[in-house]
Amino acid sequence: MIRFENVTKVYDQKARPALDSINLEIDRGEFAFLVGASGSGKSTFLRLVLKEDRASSGAVYVAGQNVANISSWRVPRLRRGIGVVFQDFRLLPQKTVFANVAFAMQVIGKSRSVIRDTVPEVLKTVGLEGKENRLPHELSGGEQQRVAIARAVVNRPGILLADEPTGNLDPTTSMGIMGVLDKINQNGTTVVMATHDDDIVNEMRKRVVELRNGVIIRDEAKALYTSMIPVVGASRRLRDASGREPEPAAATRSEARAEARAAGEAQL
Amino acid sequence: MRLQFVLAEIASGLRRNLSMVVSVILVTFVSLTFVGAAGMLQLQINQMKGYWYDKVQVAIFLCSDGSTAAGCATGPATPEQQENLGKLLESPAVAQYVNDFQFESKDDAYKHFKEQFSNSPIVDSVTPDQLPASFRINMKDPEKYQIISETFSSQAGVETVIDQRQLLERLFSVMNAASLVAVSVAGVMIVCAILLIATTIRLSAFSRRRETGIMRLVGASKMVIQLPFILEGVIAAVIGAGLASATLWAVAHFFLGGYLSQQYPDTAFISAGQTLILAPALIGLGVLLAGVSSLLTLRRYLKV
Ligand SMILES: Nc1ncnc2c1ncn2[C@@H]1O[C@H](COP(=O)(O)OP(=O)(O)OP(=O)(O)O)[C@@H](O)[C@H]1O
Ligand SMILES: [Mg+2]
Repeated sequence: MIRFENVTKVYDQKARPALDSINLEIDRGEFAFLVGASGSGKSTFLRLVLKEDRASSGAVYVAGQNVANISSWRVPRLRRGIGVVFQDFRLLPQKTVFANVAFAMQVIGKSRSVIRDTVPEVLKTVGLEGKENRLPHELSGGEQQRVAIARAVVNRPGILLADEPTGNLDPTTSMGIMGVLDKINQNGTTVVMATHDDDIVNEMRKRVVELRNGVIIRDEAKALYTSMIPVVGASRRLRDASGREPEPAAATRSEARAEARAAGEAQL
Repeated sequence: MRLQFVLAEIASGLRRNLSMVVSVILVTFVSLTFVGAAGMLQLQINQMKGYWYDKVQVAIFLCSDGSTAAGCATGPATPEQQENLGKLLESPAVAQYVNDFQFESKDDAYKHFKEQFSNSPIVDSVTPDQLPASFRINMKDPEKYQIISETFSSQAGVETVIDQRQLLERLFSVMNAASLVAVSVAGVMIVCAILLIATTIRLSAFSRRRETGIMRLVGASKMVIQLPFILEGVIAAVIGAGLASATLWAVAHFFLGGYLSQQYPDTAFISAGQTLILAPALIGLGVLLAGVSSLLTLRRYLKV
């Protein structure tokens, strides 16, 4: 579904590349975490998938198509096949929940009756039934993020990109959001999520792609936030700094998370 | 749905940017009024040229009922006198200077007069008898007017020989200079209008960057994203052009038609209706201004 072939992205000739010879394939229906320190190139990766930026070299394939060959007037069609969620929700403050989600359908010319049918359905999927007429400032952060997710998937994209979607949320709320994303993934949507949230990654046990300084240093299935296998000497220090050897407190916390996630999915 | 969406976006954009929109309307209004004033002067020049101006240079008027000139002591020109004048014009001595000439009878004169003064009240009080018949001469060399004048002024039945170009050309050069001034002022104002439209659209794009950002992400087409901004500018410019057209109409109707034509009854003025042919040109120009400046602005500030 998403394939990077030897992709390098250089923003600034003087600095190191933001992405350096990345080779990666994410299959249809997969759920992958992109992890790595700040500045490691996670957002850059997502921007290249969206053709928000062009790769300096190498090829980015989305749904089998090299995005470099998509002419600018066809880029909108590429983006209709990709939903995006951000840390800061990016809702329109004057519009209600319903209108925010409907907006994504209006601007691509969906008819009013289709919108009337689809939006409530999607709002139900993300667990926002009965909150259609609220304004964003009348919602909690987690609820706002659910609106953003609803907007991202309302046009049934094959891919959902999430850039630190839980960055502004507390752990329990985050797990609720993860439940929503998991559900969307189980419906067949490929999900790629950039995150710093170690607890979530550890909880979900999905594929983890770890970037450092624009290079993939780890790509593991059903993995943890930090590697079980020591990779390079320098990474050991890093791991130790944020390391999470199971300790009693963490164990109970993780149990609480599991409950919250189950609750999040139960709402679906 | 998409159309409705675009219309709603335009309405909200116009509302949010009301003061800028009003200034765009005023600037296009003033600049297009100057453009239109230049156009109106040209229309007026054409009106004053009348039927013969571009075709001939010299007119030999024959004596008519009311003529008081010395050569007309014997009353209106007789058919023989008219025939003799025709022969004289064809004689080799004169013909070498003449390209071509035409005889304008009293009835022809009346017809042409009615056309030229169709907007004046004077047209109702004139009859064919009052208008002199004439020979209209297209010169090989307009500078040789003197020769014709000397040859014909003393002929029996000739009231007067005039070089009609000389009469009007001074006036026309003043009017042409005035059009040029109007066009120059309009040029400066149009630059203002373009810059102001660009600024307005930039502000508008900035104040709606949240919406447009989301539209981009969910895959709205370039047209759906940009059209509201372009149309905002175009609508403001069209309103300005409409005001300019209305102003020109009012000037023609109240000033030319109502005042000047009373003061100068023997001058042919354009009618208010004639200024309306300028309106489509002004509106077209307004649309072009707004369209071009918004396209240039959006290319820079609203990447898709
Ligand atoms: N538009 C840009 N212009 C220049 N440099 C940029 C640009 N965007 C990102 N970079 C640089 O590219 C590198 C990777 O940035 P990126 O945003 O992809 O990191 P990230 O992994 O998403 O970090 P974070 O976790 O903090 O969001 C950084 O060094 C950053 O400074
Ligand atoms: Mg980032």
